[in-house]
Amino acid sequence: MSRLALAADATQVHLTSQTRIVAAILAVFFMLLILELIRRDRLQERYSVIWFVAGLGMLAGAAFPGLLELVADLMGVRDTNVALFSLVLLLLLGLALNFSVIMSRQAAQITRLAQERALEKAREQAAEARSNGGSASAERERA
Amino acid sequence: MRTLVFIPAWNEEASIEAVVADVREHLAGTDILVVDDGSTDETTARARECGVLVATLPFNQGLGAALQTGYLHALREGYDCCAHLDADGQHPAAEVARLLNEVEADRADLVIGSRYHDPGAAAESGDYKPTFSRRIGTGVFRFFLTLATRQRFTDTTSGMRAANRRVMSLFSENYSPDFAEIESLQLAVREGLRVEEVPVRMLERAGGSSFLTPLRSAFFIFKGVVVLLVGQFRPRRVEAER
Repeated sequence: MSRLALAADATQVHLTSQTRIVAAILAVFFMLLILELIRRDRLQERYSVIWFVAGLGMLAGAAFPGLLELVADLMGVRDTNVALFSLVLLLLLGLALNFSVIMSRQAAQITRLAQERALEKAREQAAEARSNGGSASAERERA
Repeated sequence: MRTLVFIPAWNEEASIEAVVADVREHLAGTDILVVDDGSTDETTARARECGVLVATLPFNQGLGAALQTGYLHALREGYDCCAHLDADGQHPAAEVARLLNEVEADRADLVIGSRYHDPGAAAESGDYKPTFSRRIGTGVFRFFLTLATRQRFTDTTSGMRAANRRVMSLFSENYSPDFAEIESLQLAVREGLRVEEVPVRMLERAGGSSFLTPLRSAFFIFKGVVVLLVGQFRPRRVEAER
């Protein structure tokens, strides 16, 4: 309890208005980029939501610095910049994990697809051998 | 009783024909499927020349994916039993027949051919002799798998197995592509299937070479232990066919 009080009492390091302007511009450009990627079918909507939320968060942080300072306070961090860095790092970690999960799911799907295709082709091959009445050994295999 | 014997093969052009011929001789009346796991050599062509069904995966995906292809085929085509053996000639088909007997008699759902099970048997020349790093790995896996399943296994990585439809339906849905052999044993025991080991003779490989270098072995062992640990906490799946 006393620690929390200390962090709150100490002089906070605020974001400068220069940082805020740069951050706001970056956030706007970032969201425009996301929209453009969706528009050109380079990014699927379902994977874009999280990035758009990140952009909005950036914008909110730049527009209302009180928000960030509140978060920094809650974390017990005196320097708002450090709090910001930690948050972004955590967010990126979460995103990276999210991608690994998506990747694993897609790897499983690709495997199944390859298996289905291989079996399908094998059946085609067997049907062909049968209709040709050709390869005697294949016939033996059927029997 | 319809039986499918499938042979996962990855770049085994040197030995695949002999293995198919061996299966034909000792397992007459069974259907044969060769699963080519994206070989870059002539494995598929050689197998086709033998006149057996060949499922060729479009790219290499690991033993687990290849075996799963076999289980999937057996399940879909309504086979009662299936068995698989390695394509490198280490597994005599006559021994596979003994595994199949156990499954056909319904004494077990999944039967593993163990090369270590019979220390008393006189070693014949040409019999399988494990290398040093292989022996360490075997010991580690044996210990952890026994711990995990509370059932004694001696040959945890054996690729010679026979199974019934319960196992087919389980393995065609859940089969780790990276760590096929060990995790599948753990899975089968956890799902309440009867898993049994039968001592078999195995030979030295006829062609190709083992993928295990010392460094890879160490990594392989590490990965196996992690996989087993995680497997202990997996949710059990509701069994469909019981």
